[in-house]
Amino acid sequence: MDTEREILRGKPVSPGIVIAKAYIYRPLELHVPEETVAAGGEQEQLGIFEKVCAQAETELDELCERLGAEDASKAKIFAAHREILEDEEVLAEIRHAITVDRRNAAAAIDKVYGQFAELLAGVADPLIAERAADLYDVRDRLLRLCMGKKAKDLSALGEDVIIVAHDLCPSDTATMDREHVKGIVTETGGTNSHSAILARSFQIPAILGVENAVSLIKEGSLLAMDAISGELFPEPTPERTESFEEKRRCFLAERAKEEQYRDRPAVMADGTKLLLGMNIGGTEFDMPGTRFDFIGLFRTEFLYMEAAELPDEEAQFAAYRRVVERADGHTVTLRTLDIGGDKTLPYMELPKEENPFLGKRALRLCFDEPELFQTQLRAALRASAFGSLQIMFPMVGGMEDIARAKQQLEAAKRALSEKGVAFDPNIRTGIMIEVPSIALIADMAAEEVDFASIGSNDLTQYVCAADRMNPGTAGYYQNLSPAMLRLLSFVFAEFNRRGKEICVCGEMAGNPKAAVLLAGLGARRLSMSAANDAGVKAALAAISRKDAEDIAKRCMQMRTEKEVMEYLETALR
Amino acid sequence: MTKKQVEIVNKTGLHARPASDFVLAAKKYASNVTISKEGEEPVNAKSVIRILAEGIGQGTKIEIAADGTDEEQAVAELSALIESGFGE
Repeated sequence: MDTEREILRGKPVSPGIVIAKAYIYRPLELHVPEETVAAGGEQEQLGIFEKVCAQAETELDELCERLGAEDASKAKIFAAHREILEDEEVLAEIRHAITVDRRNAAAAIDKVYGQFAELLAGVADPLIAERAADLYDVRDRLLRLCMGKKAKDLSALGEDVIIVAHDLCPSDTATMDREHVKGIVTETGGTNSHSAILARSFQIPAILGVENAVSLIKEGSLLAMDAISGELFPEPTPERTESFEEKRRCFLAERAKEEQYRDRPAVMADGTKLLLGMNIGGTEFDMPGTRFDFIGLFRTEFLYMEAAELPDEEAQFAAYRRVVERADGHTVTLRTLDIGGDKTLPYMELPKEENPFLGKRALRLCFDEPELFQTQLRAALRASAFGSLQIMFPMVGGMEDIARAKQQLEAAKRALSEKGVAFDPNIRTGIMIEVPSIALIADMAAEEVDFASIGSNDLTQYVCAADRMNPGTAGYYQNLSPAMLRLLSFVFAEFNRRGKEICVCGEMAGNPKAAVLLAGLGARRLSMSAANDAGVKAALAAISRKDAEDIAKRCMQMRTEKEVMEYLETALR
Repeated sequence: MTKKQVEIVNKTGLHARPASDFVLAAKKYASNVTISKEGEEPVNAKSVIRILAEGIGQGTKIEIAADGTDEEQAVAELSALIESGFGE
């Protein structure tokens, strides 16, 4: 029998099971001859440059026209590319590089576009920095034309394929032949990358961040893709293919069942309604539409981690405002900076700590860096003038933390009022419940805040004193342990009794079985990654509130997490 | 050379569409047109990439300068455009 090739792994960002031929997409094998031109050859190179610019213009015009009819926002990408192509400074610098430095046309294009892209990438405002990708896109178009090659794009594939690429750029995905793309595999990208959002919106299974996928997978070979587990099987054996067909049938049946819930609210069998939130971590995210009721967690760390320097108020404001506007009326829960300990910033010296997770992270760090905290709070407040926004503080450990965080917010409000800058004066404030010392006084905390959200990952970690990333202790990290269930039940009861909103935004919320258990314990708000809503809604619809409560009560009396899990397996089929 | 100080009043600043509109307006004039932030080098106002790279947000003060046959009209129109807030 054939021996199977090595399994490749990546991050599943859009679920699905599929077997199809691999289509290795190398958009450009760019060849930039780095030679200088002999004196007298400059005019010829200038001529080449003018010619490829004219060709690029024609291509872009055609794309604008073709896409404008189906989707105006896609046409806009190419209109912006035309603007770049005609940029006076870029043109002048390229001509200079040809005539003065005597570079050939391709080398001049490569150098100048590279420099301008780096210039934009270095701007603190992420909305500007991300436009560097458009410059690379135009550069690649010009370099391809220098080589006399036709566009190799994904617009006409002719047969069903799984696209395997290093990365997909906006112009690739905009023109992609969606009928034949059965899967997407890239070497770069994460849950909220452009490709991931696109894959989910078209329900194309996708696994991103697969190292060396392009060199390890053979063009035209069969590829089995499990975009639930994140595994890829190049050139599968007949046995593998057969088992995949079976898995695929199960998945599709399951999806068809879940699909009917996707665009509907989350309602239990007896009519009890839950509100579902979406967790996001950047300015790009799936449109919440009717699938989600609110943005339950907007992580702001990306702004700090992707920039070359501390992002200023303007840059943060621009990003927050974009999120609030994109959320289109859905309330956005902005979590203030959760950094320190294991997450460090390249441009900021943080003391090395023995126990980073028990150290000066998140709110504790912000209290010690008032300027950093005030900048973020002012930016968040300003964004609240453009839509519904609420602020949430992470790593709250006690009542003093709540009081101090609120004082800081008041100081930021005063600073804006003095300058006459608009913000929502009634902005709601809440806390993350992830430290046991605040969870155990939820009754008092609930009096002081407008809402709270349970970060079940960190709470479990602190309750069980176990790091789930450490293989040696992962087994001790038990988010369904009876201790956790009792604590959660207490927190829900204290907030619900006071009519204060309480949400769960850790991974538990997106797991269908755990979601039912949480509903039974008293949760009415769950916030999760964009791909998890249909499964959670389907599980909730299958059970009444009373039954979920009975299950939760029984679980709280069990002795171990193992017992709880085994019971849930049989009770929630 | 004609110069004028203006403050960016629109909320998005000189980004995206406002930056494009500004460059389009500047290109109508034969004069060399530049903008500069306080204490910084002037940049070509006819280059959308240069303008974006300046990262000019709301409340920033900039100087518009033009040099050429139609410098006065250029500065007048461009400063009016900024002061109008680009219709935001």
